[in-house]
Amino acid sequence: MSFDLALLLRYWPRLLEGLWTTLAVAAVGLVVALIGGALVCAARRSPSRAFTYPAHAFIAFFRITPEVILIFWAYFCIPFLSGARVSGFWAGSLTLGLIGAAYLAEIFRAGIETVPKGQWEAARAMGLPRYPLWRCVVLPQALRFSIPPLVNYFTEFLKNTTLLAAVGVSELSLQAYLLGGQTFRYVEFLTAIALVYFAIIFPFSLLSRRLEVRHGQS
Amino acid sequence: MSDLDFSVAWEYLPALLEGLWTNILLTALGFLCGGIVLGSLLAAANLSRYRVVRWPAMVFVELWRSTPLLVQAIWMHFAVPGLTGIVTSPFQSALLALVFNVAAYCSEIIRAGILGVGRGQFEAAKALGLPAFQSWRLVILPQALRLVLPPLVGTTISIFKATAILSILAINDLIRAASRVSSQTFQPVEIYTTAAVLAFAVGLLITLAGHWLERYLKRGWA
Repeated sequence: MSFDLALLLRYWPRLLEGLWTTLAVAAVGLVVALIGGALVCAARRSPSRAFTYPAHAFIAFFRITPEVILIFWAYFCIPFLSGARVSGFWAGSLTLGLIGAAYLAEIFRAGIETVPKGQWEAARAMGLPRYPLWRCVVLPQALRFSIPPLVNYFTEFLKNTTLLAAVGVSELSLQAYLLGGQTFRYVEFLTAIALVYFAIIFPFSLLSRRLEVRHGQS
Repeated sequence: MSDLDFSVAWEYLPALLEGLWTNILLTALGFLCGGIVLGSLLAAANLSRYRVVRWPAMVFVELWRSTPLLVQAIWMHFAVPGLTGIVTSPFQSALLALVFNVAAYCSEIIRAGILGVGRGQFEAAKALGLPAFQSWRLVILPQALRLVLPPLVGTTISIFKATAILSILAINDLIRAASRVSSQTFQPVEIYTTAAVLAFAVGLLITLAGHWLERYLKRGWA
């Protein structure tokens, strides 16, 4: 069994195309996850039950249901229910974004709750109004607590982009699978993309570990 | 928008439940073989004092933690036969990929638990003159177990969600069953909604059972 590098050289534009799709999915999903996560977190921390209950339900539903089923549902059922045409790319990346929002909401909430009570009390004692209290005291500290789990979740998120292959979005993993079927040489393509994923994800996983250690010490 | 008729979901419920059973079976096998057995072995190898043992284990864990399960599964099924000549059924490939993936995750949890016991305990056991085997059995492991079991139980929901990914290999799991039934009946909304509700229900049960067990384990040892 030989490893045919020439094959990779011949087909790398298609793999690169797949990589761009993967990155585009990640970008769309992350924007939705960051904005959605902040909103859900705000709702979850609201004093009114009219907000906390739906936020609770949203977080539980999107964290518990398997991602693939949600993507299938969005891809096959939304066009049927609404009559609108939905591409696999948008159905998948928006679904991943909503799932991300559920996780990020919890990460943000944990970050806010880690800010010591004394900080809130000190800010209030100084007579800081609501907006500067959040902007100058709470959020800078909360975000710093949130960064290690955020980076960690980002690695999970990148892995989840492969799930769009299930609805026919030709991101990196589906491209490699199709090329393998076309050339009858799966080993080269699948090993190559495994290494590409590793090269992208591993640095972030190292970064998140380093950030966590630094936190543990301080 | 067409009218929804969920009687079709009721009619095909046995097929969906059969698929769901595959997911549950894979979750259990992944947790036991991967999380407990292989995970412990990997953690032990990772803590070994010999580099020949430690480094391969470390490389294995990092590789399997930093690549997507979907890629691992298709690699197992399509690339491994090309490399080794051993052909596995889709279910076997899926199970192997899942077991290795879960083992890599859980070995880190187990390793952290053993390291969390604290150097003083090792030293105290040695100072009391306990032999290596007994100091592990009587001093280190009971404490490590208390640290390890709650987060280990917490991984079962992630394993259950991961089993859904394995449907890309032709194994007869919930998603496969749902897409087969929906292309037979042309009623995707009813079928996929039912599948999602079933998966959510099982996931919720696993989560609640996990929470309960975590609390029980923490209290039992407090």
